[in-house]
Amino acid sequence: MNGVLSRFPMAVPGLLLLGIFLHAPTSMARARQESTAADVLPPPADRPIDFEAEIRPILDARCVSCHGPEAQKSGLRLDSREALLLGGDLGPSVEPGNSAESLLIHKVTGFEGESVMPPRGEPLSYLEVGILRAWVDQGASGEPSASPSPTARRSSDHWAFQPINRPEAPSVSDESWARNPIDAFVLDRLDLEGIAPSPEADRATLIRRLSLDLLGIPPTPGEVDAFVADPSPDAVEALVDRLLASPHYGERWGRHWLDLARYADSDGYEKDNPRPDAFRFRDWVIDALNADLPFDRFTIEQLAGDLLPDASPGHRTAAGFHRNTLTNTEGGVDQEEFRVAAVVDRVNTTGTVWLGLTVGCAQCHTHKYDPITQREYYQLFAFFNTSDEENLPLDPTSPHESAEADAKQAKDPGPHIRTFREPPAESRRSTYILIRGDFLRPGEVVRPATFEVLPPIGSEDDALDRLDLARWLVSPEHPLTARVAANRVWSHLFGRGLVPTMDDFGTQGEPPSHPDLLDWLASEFQRLGWSQKALIRTIVLSATYRQASASRPELDELDPENVWLARQNRVRLEAEVIRDASLAAAGLLSTKVGGPSVFPPQPPGISDLTYARSARWQESAGPDRYRRGLYTFFRRTSPYPMLTTFDAPDANVCAVGRETSNTPLQALTLLNDAVFVECARSLALRVAREDEPEPIARAFRLALGRSPSPDEREILETLHRGFLSAFRDDPEGVSLLVGSVPVPEDLPRERVAALAATARVLLNLDEFMTRE
Amino acid sequence: MHPILDAIHRSRRDFLTGSASGIGLAALASMLGDQGLLAAPPPVGNAPAGRRDDPLSPRPPHFEPRAKACICIYLEGGPSQMDLFDPKPELNALDGQPLPESFTENVRFAFIQKESATVMGSPRVFRRRGECGMELSDLLPHLGQCADDLALIRSMHTDQFNHHPGQLMMNTGSPMFGRPSVGSWLTYGLGSESRDLPGYVVLTTGRGTSGGTSNWSSGFLPSSYSGVLFRDQGDPVLHLGNPPGLSQELQRESIEAISALNARRFDAVRDQEINSRIASYELAFRMQSSAPELIDLSGETDETLELYGVGREDPEGGGRGGGAGVYNQFATNCLLARRLVERGVRFVNIYHASWDHHSNLDAELSFNCGMADRPVAALIADLKRRGLLDSTLVLWCSEFGRTPLGENRPGFAKVTGRDHHPFAFSQFLAGGGIKGGQVIGKTDPIGWNVVEDPVHVHDYHATILKLFGFDHTQLTYRYQGRDFRLTDVAGQVVDRLIS
Repeated sequence: MNGVLSRFPMAVPGLLLLGIFLHAPTSMARARQESTAADVLPPPADRPIDFEAEIRPILDARCVSCHGPEAQKSGLRLDSREALLLGGDLGPSVEPGNSAESLLIHKVTGFEGESVMPPRGEPLSYLEVGILRAWVDQGASGEPSASPSPTARRSSDHWAFQPINRPEAPSVSDESWARNPIDAFVLDRLDLEGIAPSPEADRATLIRRLSLDLLGIPPTPGEVDAFVADPSPDAVEALVDRLLASPHYGERWGRHWLDLARYADSDGYEKDNPRPDAFRFRDWVIDALNADLPFDRFTIEQLAGDLLPDASPGHRTAAGFHRNTLTNTEGGVDQEEFRVAAVVDRVNTTGTVWLGLTVGCAQCHTHKYDPITQREYYQLFAFFNTSDEENLPLDPTSPHESAEADAKQAKDPGPHIRTFREPPAESRRSTYILIRGDFLRPGEVVRPATFEVLPPIGSEDDALDRLDLARWLVSPEHPLTARVAANRVWSHLFGRGLVPTMDDFGTQGEPPSHPDLLDWLASEFQRLGWSQKALIRTIVLSATYRQASASRPELDELDPENVWLARQNRVRLEAEVIRDASLAAAGLLSTKVGGPSVFPPQPPGISDLTYARSARWQESAGPDRYRRGLYTFFRRTSPYPMLTTFDAPDANVCAVGRETSNTPLQALTLLNDAVFVECARSLALRVAREDEPEPIARAFRLALGRSPSPDEREILETLHRGFLSAFRDDPEGVSLLVGSVPVPEDLPRERVAALAATARVLLNLDEFMTRE
Repeated sequence: MHPILDAIHRSRRDFLTGSASGIGLAALASMLGDQGLLAAPPPVGNAPAGRRDDPLSPRPPHFEPRAKACICIYLEGGPSQMDLFDPKPELNALDGQPLPESFTENVRFAFIQKESATVMGSPRVFRRRGECGMELSDLLPHLGQCADDLALIRSMHTDQFNHHPGQLMMNTGSPMFGRPSVGSWLTYGLGSESRDLPGYVVLTTGRGTSGGTSNWSSGFLPSSYSGVLFRDQGDPVLHLGNPPGLSQELQRESIEAISALNARRFDAVRDQEINSRIASYELAFRMQSSAPELIDLSGETDETLELYGVGREDPEGGGRGGGAGVYNQFATNCLLARRLVERGVRFVNIYHASWDHHSNLDAELSFNCGMADRPVAALIADLKRRGLLDSTLVLWCSEFGRTPLGENRPGFAKVTGRDHHPFAFSQFLAGGGIKGGQVIGKTDPIGWNVVEDPVHVHDYHATILKLFGFDHTQLTYRYQGRDFRLTDVAGQVVDRLIS
């Protein structure tokens, strides 16, 4: 985002200044025009100046609060001679031997229209300016600072930049409650507040919770029965292990990753052409999660798979993470503008996903809150700026040699892998600081590097590439990656992160509710070899996770957001999971994993509204109509309405965490959308066909995983009787509702219609669309 | 949970529990008729003791309100005030000349190269309009006819210089995510007088805003107070029809049962979100009857459709304008806004994005004004002749204005646009207790700064709340141990705006 930036929004007395301008230039203005620097600047002191004795005190008193260890406005530090000579985003601060042309001197005097530094308090005195000038004129010499780099690196005392230490689990009031260290940290905090944790959720709730959290598919009644009846002390462990081994785990957690990857099946922008090969990346993610590819390795392949020695097609597919950026093929666009926009998105997404920092703020100016300079932003940018997009034919025999073949391949690449190609070091594009973030305003050249407040990436070497960056992100001493990733895993299992601002671990984000727990999780994640499955297993086996989610009125005032975790949270299911759960209850869900994206039925007219009707929706046939929600073709300019109605992200930028809105439009979708009516009908046929003595209770169990209470059963039975009698008098309604679905001969059709209407109620319950 | 809400839940539960033994579902309607789905809307103005099971049930403000509904027309991007509302003949005199450094030395721009930036004049012609003689641009011929109803603020200023934070500032009073929008505060404070439509509806034209849903979010307020976004393509609301074969009666019985079962779940787990769900379902049911009627414009006269410009084609050549068909869509949205307000909806947001004219300003602004001028003027006139303007506040706003300097971005063949300008911009209000035919505030001869009667976004919000009968310092919501309000810790009511 670009904009005007001012420290003094209302400070310029416009009329007065305008008067000056319009009428008579003052003598001062004229003097400025006619004088040279040497004439108007205070004269340099006429004696030798020592940096430590005379310069450092001035800098410390007047400059270092904004240009020092705490803040580095304009990327500048003035707390050492070396830093001063290095300068900031505007270049070197001084030109040794020539104070009259030195930026530092211009800044402290307001010469050449520079805003006067320091911005607050009295300006420097003539005497002080004279001392600075003399020092510069004498060559800006000085003994090297006592602490050369790397300790001279900028530091920050912000919590997230500190090393991850593995805290000891505290001793707590009720050791018997704690199943693992997570519980000790949580109970320690609850003890402090004088609150007892909630009891464990009942078994039926627990298996539904675990099935939805780990697979995104509700348990079958048989699975519930087996779990409820399992007398083994390790019943929960066994269940968790079974779920983590399911191929649907990769779909569920892959979808979380696809939100971050801003995955979609089309280009975006005006033409929004389809990307029929995008699914290969999606399938790679699912497979990698199912195989529990360690997160450090996963990271390396996502960011730099193509750069691995002997990179396999799989590695190159993984590197397609950053190929999910939008592509503008609209006529007349400046390709360089959109290339830069894509690189910007790659930098910002990398910052969000691995660093948990809003690095994008530093695109146009040094970050206002976090210790990231604009120079550092473009140093990070440099890692991504050199890479070229590549569509690699799946068939390796395809021609890929001549320019003509390349051009043809760009137009119609055939089945391909969407990845990157890194040119040889000598022909890589240079990276410049883009002034105000404008691609048309290149400033100074920068080399790939990372942020100074973070551990060093190694030597300042031109040859650093994405692979070095990825390895640095997952290096053991990196303070952010493990914390950020563990926090995300936690949020998917509790509906809220320990750091609720999951995309901002910087100073403007919220601090962690349980700092020691977060650090323990981060260090445990690493200790477990970055195994996401092992981390999830640890969390879901905790007593904290297993708590009931019912609200506790006594805590409404004290802890309305359940920050202290005295219970689990009720969380509305994500868009795709609502679809999957409905299809699963109906017995329709296709369990096929992977493959090209599909086109389930959608309301008429949706795809007509895109550019040149580019989004023709060729409805899928057969089982592909009933695939899981994450396989639905996602067209950026006309996304599948059900998904967006239930807060699926728009896939234009990296999405960390989803909204959980609650609107009448959602109700209309689940009540009336033909897809969900079909689910209700199939659920009805399922229980009717099964020759079930209690079809409604059976349908209830299929939908909610538990048996109805007597009250609930009565409401439903009454409702069903009403439906039945209404449909007996309405054969036309029956045939419309039952539709063309084959109904067994011995089944009265009005019974199917009444059951369908009843099943539809079940699929619309708050409990159905909630993970409790 | 509120005790009345509790009682309602209990009555539903008790009834349905007992129903199997005697009363059938047929009796359900009459039983719930005075409290449930079929309840007649409470008489307007007689709301204080209203039901609290519906979070949108009407309730009175702090004092007698002037306005009952608000239509907020948001032109995202920053329309150029010196080409529309704030004539600056000096700009033409200075066209092509640099500004003194003193103007720009502490200011950074998105795109302007201040070393060589020069003043950009305006080709627009301003005329005095109405009896009040308010000067308005020739790009707003129809709005000029409403001049005596408009209170034009030429001295708006904001703290935010980028689009998204600026939008959040204007819509929620804070540049941070997670705060409730003005519409959410009003529906929270007043409820909705429509039982059949959402209390807060969002209509968009063309492409989305950079702020997206955060512009109409309820933030930390319950989600029932969020704006409900109608679709901007095809049908405004999907899935309004029952499944084939399912009568309206059976649909009603279905939703009654859903509510009854959800209420039981609430008893068990006491999650307030369930109450919002119940309200959403009951509202969805009522929308099935009300929304088709709402969006069916066949009852509108040809004269009215013509007044708004419904059915217009975009002009040849067009502008970027955020997509095709925006002229018709925007006109339709303005008419829909009137119909929504007539049906008791509290707050309607009309969004149109594409006013960020860094280049090609004159052509793009002409295109956009051609789209917006007539329908907005029609809306004001139509509300007035129907006697609704007195109680309906109409707002024209954006996140900031534009610079008097031309934007000399490198790579541009010539200067044809203006950059973002938060220090002084213009927007107007009409109806709802606003004193029309006046101009508030003044800017310097080039429109850089406010020189008289500055109106900050917080002041603007404080005034809006006052029109709705609220002391802005007292309309609060306790969250995380703090009483939050729309105006944070600032805001001065601009009494001169109020008639």
